[in-house]
Amino acid sequence: MKITTYLLGLMLAFKAAAATNEVAPPPAANSPVVLQDLQQKMASVKTVYLEFTQERVLKLFSEPLKTEGVMLIARPDKIRWETTAPYQSILLGDQKTVAQFEFNDGKWEKLKLGFPQLLQRVMQQMALMNQGKLDALMVDYTITVTTGELTVLTMVPKDANVRGMMSSLEVHLLPDLSATKQVVMNEPNGDLMRITFRNEKRDMEFPEKTFDQSKPLDIAAVQAAVKNAP
Amino acid sequence: MCLLAGCAVTKLPPTQSLPPPAGLFPANALLTQRALFTARGRQFALNGYLALSETDGKRLIVTENFGNVMADLLVKPDGRVFVLRSSRMFPERYIRRLMAADVACIFGGAPTLDCPVTMPETNHFVLDRGGYKLDLRIVGTKPGIQPAAMFDETAALKK
Repeated sequence: MKITTYLLGLMLAFKAAAATNEVAPPPAANSPVVLQDLQQKMASVKTVYLEFTQERVLKLFSEPLKTEGVMLIARPDKIRWETTAPYQSILLGDQKTVAQFEFNDGKWEKLKLGFPQLLQRVMQQMALMNQGKLDALMVDYTITVTTGELTVLTMVPKDANVRGMMSSLEVHLLPDLSATKQVVMNEPNGDLMRITFRNEKRDMEFPEKTFDQSKPLDIAAVQAAVKNAP
Repeated sequence: MCLLAGCAVTKLPPTQSLPPPAGLFPANALLTQRALFTARGRQFALNGYLALSETDGKRLIVTENFGNVMADLLVKPDGRVFVLRSSRMFPERYIRRLMAADVACIFGGAPTLDCPVTMPETNHFVLDRGGYKLDLRIVGTKPGIQPAAMFDETAALKK
């Protein structure tokens, strides 16, 4: 459930990227309207490229534990989550299969996954959300919206067991919903996971093999194509 | 769900001790690790965060891809082991017996088991116990004294 909610937040980030600047920001605290607005904007974006910094904040540590990476999504169901520092790892998924690669001894190794079914389930849910089926959110979460410098969607799990693992999920968006700046997963003990996004690009054509689960294209080549995209 | 590490190790292979060379790691530091844990032909990519204290011991936190904590272990300088968090993947008995021994093998201490460790290159260790294999790389080192709370065993005793 925790992993699903984590990736749900990422998908909301993707969906928010679809917003245009033509629609006025929704009224504060009207969460069904906000979700409906996000959902309506889902259809217009075909691909997204985002760079991220992921911080694992554990109270025990004096500083957050950071990783850097990129996230790529292509409709209807392809996702690539790649960590580029301080180690290199690629997670790939679509509605049917998942794959993970680790960079070790100077080469990429495809892992024999321990629990592929779990990752597969997560990817399938992402595919559903990618098709705009956010209604389920209202069933499982109490959602509030606050506005200010940023619009913040705060989702609190309705199930007490789930709340025992994750107290809330926050999505921080620009006021006009045109971009997601941050996703935060809060845990009951005060620990959290924070993902900050930057350098978003939309609707470019990804090169062949960007999402290939046998031999994915090197990220440098993908980034070069993204950079040169019109 | 199979408790991979716990049920896989029934017999240790012939061993050779390889104590880590002295001075490999700072006495006080935070080491960030990336590891591939292989058991029963399946591979798990994990992150490790190891706090070293010359006077207070070693604290290891193991997370999976999305940051979920799979194991949290404190080893005091006198060898006492405290398990602060376990998981279905790493149950308490595995952490107490094997993970603690692996930490001592690679990072120093008094291992309670033999140390079948090789070091293919700097900051790269491979520990093969037959039932499982740990391929571990140090990807970050931050020298310096770590917060005292990291080595407070009373947090474990309160559980």
